[in-house]
Amino acid sequence: MEHPLTLILIIAGAFYIFGYYRRFFVYAGILFQCSYLLMRGAQLGRLPLVGPHDTLCFLSASIAVFAVPIAYRVRDRQRFQHGIVALVVFFMGLSLIFQPHTMPLPPVLRTFWFETHVAFSFFSYALFGIAAVLGVLSLTYDGGVPEEAQYTAILVGYSFFSLGMIFGGIWAYYAWGTYWLWTAKEVWTVMVWLFYGFYLHARLTSWWKGKPEAILGIIGFGIVLFTYLGVSLLMKSSHAF
Amino acid sequence: MNIFKKVFAFFLSLRTTIWLFITLLSLFLYGAMIMPARVEFQGLFVQPLFTWMNGHSFTITWWLWGAIVTMAFMTANTVICSIESLMKRKSARQWLLIISPQVVHIGFLFILLAHLLSSHGSYKATAFAYKNTVLPLPTGLDVMFKELRIDVSPTGFVREWAADIQYFQKGRHIKDDSIMPNSPSFMKGFGIYIKTVRAAPFPVAVIEISREPGAWCALLGGTFFTAGIITLLILKIRREDAASLKAG
Repeated sequence: MEHPLTLILIIAGAFYIFGYYRRFFVYAGILFQCSYLLMRGAQLGRLPLVGPHDTLCFLSASIAVFAVPIAYRVRDRQRFQHGIVALVVFFMGLSLIFQPHTMPLPPVLRTFWFETHVAFSFFSYALFGIAAVLGVLSLTYDGGVPEEAQYTAILVGYSFFSLGMIFGGIWAYYAWGTYWLWTAKEVWTVMVWLFYGFYLHARLTSWWKGKPEAILGIIGFGIVLFTYLGVSLLMKSSHAF
Repeated sequence: MNIFKKVFAFFLSLRTTIWLFITLLSLFLYGAMIMPARVEFQGLFVQPLFTWMNGHSFTITWWLWGAIVTMAFMTANTVICSIESLMKRKSARQWLLIISPQVVHIGFLFILLAHLLSSHGSYKATAFAYKNTVLPLPTGLDVMFKELRIDVSPTGFVREWAADIQYFQKGRHIKDDSIMPNSPSFMKGFGIYIKTVRAAPFPVAVIEISREPGAWCALLGGTFFTAGIITLLILKIRREDAASLKAG
């Protein structure tokens, strides 16, 4: 094993998989994964938020942490837990494919605005992911998953996402002289923002209530994933990762 | 009169909001697909949006014109809906719950205004600077790069860089400043940015001079948006908790 800390992450993953059966193991998984992130942070002397390995791991941990309070708003906690565990393990597994970023950060990334921009963005991605899980559950099973829980997850996620965009704009202004760049990542980011803005307005009308609303929550996470992974991997952008 | 009523009803409708969102999303989706494929879009990094749009064929820019028209409609829709919402429910007890979405809308409108100002009046220029290079600024001032400081690690990694600069007005020294990544120097609406450096064979820096007239407006919009959405969030969660306590 090239990176000794990775063992902690693998243990966390194993706990999450057991969490499919007992909730206690999910909490143990969170504890191990957060410890891993803390140790990575201590090792690097900054928040571990650069590169696909760290960001995917941070996203996975954020989903697990935010799902805890949301679980109390869902009657069918068992099914919700299954969906969340699948999502958390998927992103953690994906993070293990990539090498951890160990190079020193370029000066332009060593700022409070960058760290808060990235952290808030991933908090929002996590909440949009949870909303998608709730959407799938409400389409698959009748009752037990109130649409209000999906709405709450999206509203909180939208707030974090907006904060992430604002902080990103402040950072870009200090780093590059403009709060907005016409790159693929920015355009896709605006699409995420507009899409969830659309969701928040659409759900106020009767036609979009219920199933359409749940479907929107799932499509939204698809756009988020493309913005995060698709644009970073496939297109030229100011956001390499 | 009847037409006026119809136009007002159109802008007051939530259905209009939804269709405007769908239109805007479709236009941006097309833009996101076409932008990486066309080299013309590289010009957007060095020119204000409106200057760039006027200089290019409509076959390339049509989606941006479409987005501007849609956002103009959205502005009218937002203003009319917000005013109506405040007037209709002014007697409501939970006024914060009514006000906070309107504060979010105000933030959104300020952000749109910021983009309008920047699309019209932004400025961007790039230059190389060595020790004692003097660059003229559009304000009539001159900026001299007195010293370039580059910190290179033993492994050859450039850790930090900075430049000491001096402003001159008609040959008279008026101000000293220092610039480094994330810490530009501002003078009369223009920012001087040090983007990157090369240490060998002699120190040289890539400098950017920029003006972003919409920046203050974007910050104001961001502040309104954040204040509104956080208030809304707290109130909604409290209301949900109260409802579930009642039900439980």
